[in-house]
Amino acid sequence: MKAKIAGLVILLLVVVLAVGYTLLGKSRETVEIAGYVGGEKIGLLEDEEVQRLLQRKYHLEMDYSRAGSIEMVTEDHTGMDFLFPSSQTALEIYEAQYGNPVKSEIVLNTPIVLYARTAVADALLAEGIAWEEEGVCYVDMQKLAACIEEGTPWSEIGLPELYGNVTVSTTDPTKSNSGNMFAGLLANTLCGGTADEDSLGAILPRLQTIFRNLGYMESSSSDLFDQFLKTGIGAKPMVAGYENQLLEFAAEEPDTWEQVKGDIRILYPSPTVWSSHVFIALDEAGTAGIDALMDEEVQEMAWNRHGFRTGVDGLASGTEQFGVDGVAGQVTRVMNMPDADTMERIIEALE
Amino acid sequence: MKIKSFAAGIVAVLLASLGLCACAGLPGFGEKQQQEDQGADAVIGSGRQTLRIVSGSENQELEPILEEFAQESGIRIEMTYQGSLDIMRTLEQETIEYDAVWPASSLWLNVGDTGHRVKHAESISITPVVFGIRQSLAEELGFVGREVSVQDILDAITAGELKFCMTSATQSNSGASAYIGFLYALLGNPDMITEEDLQSPRLQADIQSLLSGVDRSSGSSDWLKDMFLEGGYDAMVNYECLIIQANEELESRGEETLYVVYPYDGLTLADSPLGYVDQGDDAKEEAFLELQEYLLSDEAQNAIQRTGRRTGYTGISEENQDVFRTDWGVQPDRVLSTMKMPSTEVLFEALNLYQTDFKKPSLNLYCLDYSGSMSGKGNEQLVAAMEQLLLQENAEKNFLQASKDEVNVLILFDDEILAEYTAVGSGEELEALYDRVAEQETGSGTDMYLAADEALNILSAYDLSQYTPAIILLTDGMSGGSYDMFMEHYQALGVDVPVFSIMFGDADPEQLEELAAATNARVFDGREDLIDAFRKVKGYN
Repeated sequence: MKAKIAGLVILLLVVVLAVGYTLLGKSRETVEIAGYVGGEKIGLLEDEEVQRLLQRKYHLEMDYSRAGSIEMVTEDHTGMDFLFPSSQTALEIYEAQYGNPVKSEIVLNTPIVLYARTAVADALLAEGIAWEEEGVCYVDMQKLAACIEEGTPWSEIGLPELYGNVTVSTTDPTKSNSGNMFAGLLANTLCGGTADEDSLGAILPRLQTIFRNLGYMESSSSDLFDQFLKTGIGAKPMVAGYENQLLEFAAEEPDTWEQVKGDIRILYPSPTVWSSHVFIALDEAGTAGIDALMDEEVQEMAWNRHGFRTGVDGLASGTEQFGVDGVAGQVTRVMNMPDADTMERIIEALE
Repeated sequence: MKIKSFAAGIVAVLLASLGLCACAGLPGFGEKQQQEDQGADAVIGSGRQTLRIVSGSENQELEPILEEFAQESGIRIEMTYQGSLDIMRTLEQETIEYDAVWPASSLWLNVGDTGHRVKHAESISITPVVFGIRQSLAEELGFVGREVSVQDILDAITAGELKFCMTSATQSNSGASAYIGFLYALLGNPDMITEEDLQSPRLQADIQSLLSGVDRSSGSSDWLKDMFLEGGYDAMVNYECLIIQANEELESRGEETLYVVYPYDGLTLADSPLGYVDQGDDAKEEAFLELQEYLLSDEAQNAIQRTGRRTGYTGISEENQDVFRTDWGVQPDRVLSTMKMPSTEVLFEALNLYQTDFKKPSLNLYCLDYSGSMSGKGNEQLVAAMEQLLLQENAEKNFLQASKDEVNVLILFDDEILAEYTAVGSGEELEALYDRVAEQETGSGTDMYLAADEALNILSAYDLSQYTPAIILLTDGMSGGSYDMFMEHYQALGVDVPVFSIMFGDADPEQLEELAAATNARVFDGREDLIDAFRKVKGYN
């Protein structure tokens, strides 16, 4: 009998608490918005300090599923409040298919770079494919592309321990942005200027051969980068990625970075292209994401903790905090990506 | 858009805990718990929060490390082992019954995750796919202390000097990796394998002759290692870490160990990604992240390295050098330079060809139990099972389709042989057998040994070097007759034929386990997951 009464009392208490909290809680409801996000930005969205700030200032929680930038705009995205791809191209493809979104804005920037093991970077420097300028390593895209097209074996540039030919591993350009942008950069390189409808036709077969020879490609930039770090020089001697990936890794795991930093180099393609991370709000709820991410404090954290350049000119407010050698203070040799129609033709040809 | 309020959360938590308290005392709760366990190959720990993981069988070796986590965290782990390609197919399904996936390579995870449901995937360890060859044979073949190409290995196989075991290329990552390596070598190492290459008649003839050198196969890598240790075989394609473990076992038995050969133009790495299957349960996600963090902690990474896997960013530590023994041919400091996997279109075309055209055709002898004890439910289950296997439209959905030269024999029995049917290939002849199976009525007593013995008679009429043979009993396992008589015949025949069983009805595994143990086979429960049982049996032959 006693137990029964105790049970009733507990139940009553719960009901009272529940009603109380519901009434009180109304004023600080958290809105949860859901969307597709490119893998390289997950670190930022998972950052607890960023999450707390979004909660506190904007009462916002972002739920995400990871998807490639091209996939997310072309495939079904019903039920989502936003898309967060990594390039203007993705936005343009979206607009061509669905018209103008409720709102869109570039919230983060990062250049496409190459990551290589030190032995590989040294070989490229020795061959004159790369050069150093004020401690920053640049790669001559013309020379690198020629090397790849000619099928130069690694052994010929002084790396006999590596099997196969000189390649840059990328993500699948038909699915993921970093691979897509590297394909755009290669198209520009082969055309000798920004590729367009007129110049593309002549170089398309060459581009197809380069990508065909890559075989299976990862569909996410973060997976590719993770594999670059973990599988060693043999499996991924050189990969294309975003500058922010290494900066974020060094900021998040300083101890691990300390162990491996002697063996990893960041190389800036000359010229390179900007990856502009565009937040596309698909409905009214989604627009809250833009306001929140453009918040000054969030933008600061995006650079200091996740390596995303936020200013329009890509001028970084100091690079020392990362402990990464060879980070360019300013990225100046930049070229425009081919326009969306041209990129769509490239994607079709590589599919 | 979802509105979440703090209050709703609090209420949910309180009500849930009240609810749990209430039903914990009810009879039947334990029963439900047990039901959940069914189907898992290993249940680790006893906590209330459960993580169901579908994993490559090579991770069976990590169970002690998982055990430690389960103890500390109070999270129960249920491991179900499948080949990595089967895990890929599991991921492609609309509903996924697991909370996490752990295939051998991220390739299969990425290809399978068409619904973008996997998140937090991180590589736990790395191990290359290599050849393990009996030390003395490796020396004889001149493979010791020098760089070996896939072609060198193929030459030894075609000269009849080397026979080997590998997993099924359409089920398991190590088998698929080795197979792609073979294709490259046979094509003269082009920059990339193309779809046109696969159609070349010369390649088709070469790969068929090469795969005829496969002694035994299996659906997943750890089972291959176990089978190898039972068997007296010469070589196997498997993960470096499993060759190391096999060697530890062989050495402790005082037997000859395997020498590890890294084919320099056909190497692949298994990066063992552990990923969370997001089905919206926050508590599970937290439990998953706790497990992943544990596995990536320095302590666990070191323990994993001691099982022969490569972990961390800086190579094998000084204290673990003793595991990666150079006298076994293991090269802890080798630059693991890999071949490139073809694009998914080419890869899957290659795998289809493996299944239907290239691999040694199977010779399956199904012994179907029509005894009295099977009447009713048992018989229904058996007929439904054969419907999945014989009708090719059903079979194809589960990659169980027959190949063009495959031979299927059905032996229907009770305490005598009721009927025998044979079908070659995958056409009408095979499909017509389903009607025979469905119309046969159950009889009286049981003698499965008689049926298995008849299977041996039939087998001996075939040139077994051209087939991968297997006897498969579909039965409840309660049989009269003589085990000894069967084994006498089996040994006299001197063939390496596994006798698998798939259990139905009121099954009793005891007699079946005895047969499986004696013939290096396994017993499956057809009532739990029939398709899985068939796939596993198929992988073994």
